[in-house]
Amino acid sequence: MEIVLMDNLWVIIGTFLVLLMLGGFILLEAGSTRMKNAGHIAGKTIFTAGIGSLVFWAVGYGFIYGDGNWFIGMSNFFYGDSSFSGEGLSPAVDFMFQMMFALISLTIAFGGFAERAKLSAYVIFALLFSAVIYPVVAHWIWGGGWLADHGKQDFAGSTVVHLTGAMAALAATIILKPRIGKYNKDGSSNEIAGHNQVFTALGVLLLWVGWFGFNGASTFEVADAFFGFAILNTQLAAAAGAVAAMFVAWALTGKADVPTTLNGALAGLVAITAPAGFVDPWAAVVIGIIGGIIVVFSMKMFDKAKIDDPIFALSVHGVVGVWGTLANGLFTVPEYAFVGQAGLFYGGGFTQLGVQAMGVVTSGLYAFVVAFVILKIMDKVMGGIRVTEEEEIIGLDLSEHGGYGYPENIPHPSDKSGA
Amino acid sequence: MNSYDEIQQFRHQQMTKVSNNHERLNHFHDQIIDNTVKIAMDKVEGEWGIPPAPFAFFLMGSAGRFEQSVWSDQDHGIIFDGSDDCQAYFLRLGSEITNGLTKVGYELCDGNVMASNSIWCQSIERWEIQVERWLLEAKWDSLRHFLTFFDSRVLIGETTFLDQLKNTAFSILQEKPHLYIRLVENVSFVKKGIGAFGQLLPELKGEHSGSIQLKQTTFFPYVNALRLLALKDKIVKPSTLSRFGELSDNYPFIKRYEEDFKRLLDFRLYFRRDAKSYEEVHHIPVSALTKGEKQELKEFMKKGYKLFSETKTIVEKECSTWL
Repeated sequence: MEIVLMDNLWVIIGTFLVLLMLGGFILLEAGSTRMKNAGHIAGKTIFTAGIGSLVFWAVGYGFIYGDGNWFIGMSNFFYGDSSFSGEGLSPAVDFMFQMMFALISLTIAFGGFAERAKLSAYVIFALLFSAVIYPVVAHWIWGGGWLADHGKQDFAGSTVVHLTGAMAALAATIILKPRIGKYNKDGSSNEIAGHNQVFTALGVLLLWVGWFGFNGASTFEVADAFFGFAILNTQLAAAAGAVAAMFVAWALTGKADVPTTLNGALAGLVAITAPAGFVDPWAAVVIGIIGGIIVVFSMKMFDKAKIDDPIFALSVHGVVGVWGTLANGLFTVPEYAFVGQAGLFYGGGFTQLGVQAMGVVTSGLYAFVVAFVILKIMDKVMGGIRVTEEEEIIGLDLSEHGGYGYPENIPHPSDKSGA
Repeated sequence: MNSYDEIQQFRHQQMTKVSNNHERLNHFHDQIIDNTVKIAMDKVEGEWGIPPAPFAFFLMGSAGRFEQSVWSDQDHGIIFDGSDDCQAYFLRLGSEITNGLTKVGYELCDGNVMASNSIWCQSIERWEIQVERWLLEAKWDSLRHFLTFFDSRVLIGETTFLDQLKNTAFSILQEKPHLYIRLVENVSFVKKGIGAFGQLLPELKGEHSGSIQLKQTTFFPYVNALRLLALKDKIVKPSTLSRFGELSDNYPFIKRYEEDFKRLLDFRLYFRRDAKSYEEVHHIPVSALTKGEKQELKEFMKKGYKLFSETKTIVEKECSTWL
C-alpha cells in the first residue's frame, strides 16, 4: 500500500512540475517577443490554461481514455470522483497529470499565434483544440487507439504533446501570416528581437526543471526508481542540445547566438521526451546533439520559407518532436521496450522505426489538417483571426487588454516631464 | 558648374565613365567635392562676407584615404587660424558644405564627423588641445576620434595646418609609446567574414541578408594595419596605397600584401560599380559571386587578417620594449 501511495505522490509532484512549465512558457514567450505584447502573452497563457482545464474535465479526458473505438474514447465525460481501488494511480491523480499534458500542448499551439492573433481567437481555439485535436491524437497513442495497437512508443509525449501542439501552431502561423515588418519586399527577413533574453533563459530553465516531472513522472510509479533513469536521460539530452546548438550557430554564423543556444536546450528536452525511458544515456546524448543541430537548421528553413515563427515553436516542438519520436526506432533498448520493439541499432530492424514514422505522419497530419480547417472557419466567421494593423502596431497589451505589461516603460502622449 | 544641382547631374552623367578605374574615380570625387565646397564658400561669403581667417578644409575617412567607391558618405573638417570668434563663420560654412555635399550625392556621416559639428571645426590652437586630449585621455572613443582624424588630407586651403597637427600627435606618441598599444587595441576587433568551416559569413538579417559586409570584414584589417605603421613611422600621407609605398623599406613584410590590397580595390569597384546607394557599395551578395570569386574574396580576408596580426605583433613588441 505504501508503495502505491508513493506512486501517487510521485505523479502528483510531477503534475505540479508540469504545471510550473506554464511559468516557463510565460517567461520564454514574453522574453522572445516585444515589450508591447508582454502582458498579453503572460495573461493569455493563464486564461487559456483555465479554458483548457475546463474542457479537458468536460470532454477531453473522456475522448482520450473513455471506452470507445480505434479513433476516440466516448465515456468518462465530466470526469472525477474520490474513489481509489488501492492499486495504481487514483483516478484524480491520473486525471490531473494527464490534464497538464493537454495544457502544455495547447500552450505550444499558441506559440504560432504570438504577437498578432485576436484574443477571441485564443478563446475559441483553446476550446476546440482541447476538445477535438489533442484528445484524438492522445487517444490513438496513449488511450488504446489504433497506434497503441501497433506498439507506438512515446514515453512522455514527443508526438502527443509536442508535435500535436506544433502542427496546430504551423496551421495558425500560415493563416495568420508574418508579423508586420518581419519580411522586406525583396523577400529578405528582419530580426524582430525579443525584449528580454534573461526572461527567455529563465523560461528555458523553468521548463527544464518542469521536464523532470514531465518525463520522470511518466513512469507512473516509483518502482525500481526508474524515474531517476528517465530524468538522467532528460538531463543529458538537454545539456547536449544546448551545447550542440551553440557550437553549430557559432560555426555557421560566427556568433554564439543566445536564442539559438536556448532553443538547443529545449530541442534536447523535446527530443528525449519520447525516448526518455527507452534508451541508454549515451543514446540520450546523441539524441540531444542531433536535436540541437536540427533546431538550428529548422529555424533557418522556416525563416527562408517566410513562415514567421516568433518563438520557434515549429522548430523546437515540431521538427525536433518528429526527430525524438523517430529516435525510438533507432535507439530503443530491448529490455526497456515495455511497448513495441527494440530499435534499429539494437537488432530490432526497421519495424519500430516504421511504426514511429507512421505515428508521426498520421498524428501530425491529423493535427495540422483539423487545426487548419478550424482556424480557416474561424477566420471566415470571425472576420479574421488577426488583429488590425493599428492594433498590432500599438501592441496587444493595449489593444486587447487595455493596459501595458510594462506601463512605466511605454511613453504616453499625456506624459509630462518637469515642473 | 554654378549650383549643387548642376554638379549632381554632372556626377550622375560622368560616373559611369570613371567607375571602372580606382584612380580616376577618386580624382573625379575630389573634383566634385572641390566644386561643391567652392559653391558653398561663395554662398557663405555672400551672406557673411569673406572668411575671417585663413583655413583648411580637409577630408577624412575613405575620401581622406583616396579610397572612395562610387558612393560614399561625408567625413570632413575645418581648421582655421584665428580666434574663437571666427568659429561661428566656419560652422556656417561647414553646414553649407554638408548641405551641398548631401545634395550632390554624399550621404551624411552617421558619426557626425563633419565640419558642421564643432568638434571637427575649430581653430588650430583648439585643434592642438583636442588632439592632445584625445591621445592623453586614451579612452576608447577618444582614440577612435584620433584615428579617424589621422586619415586626412587637405582639399582646399592651408595644407600646413593639418601637417602641424599630425606632427603634434607624432611628438606625443613618441613620448608615450604605450599609446601605440592602446591604438592597436582600438582597432583589434575585426568583424568575422569567414566561418569555422571556411565558409563566407554573410549578413543574416535585414535587407542586406545574404551579402558580405566588405568594409568591416575585408577592408578594415588592411587600412588599420597600414595606419598603425604610418603612425609609428610618422608618415602623414593618408592613402593606404601610398602608406604601402612609404613603409615597405622599413617593414618589408607588407610588400606581400600590397598587390592584394590593389586587387581588393578593383574587386570592390568591379562588383559594386552599379551600386545604387552608399549602403550597397559595401555589401556584395554572395549569390553574385562565382566559386572562384568567393575564393578570391576569402583570400583577401585571410591575407588582411594575417597582415593585421603581423602588424599587431610588431607594434606590440616594439612598443612594449620602450615601456
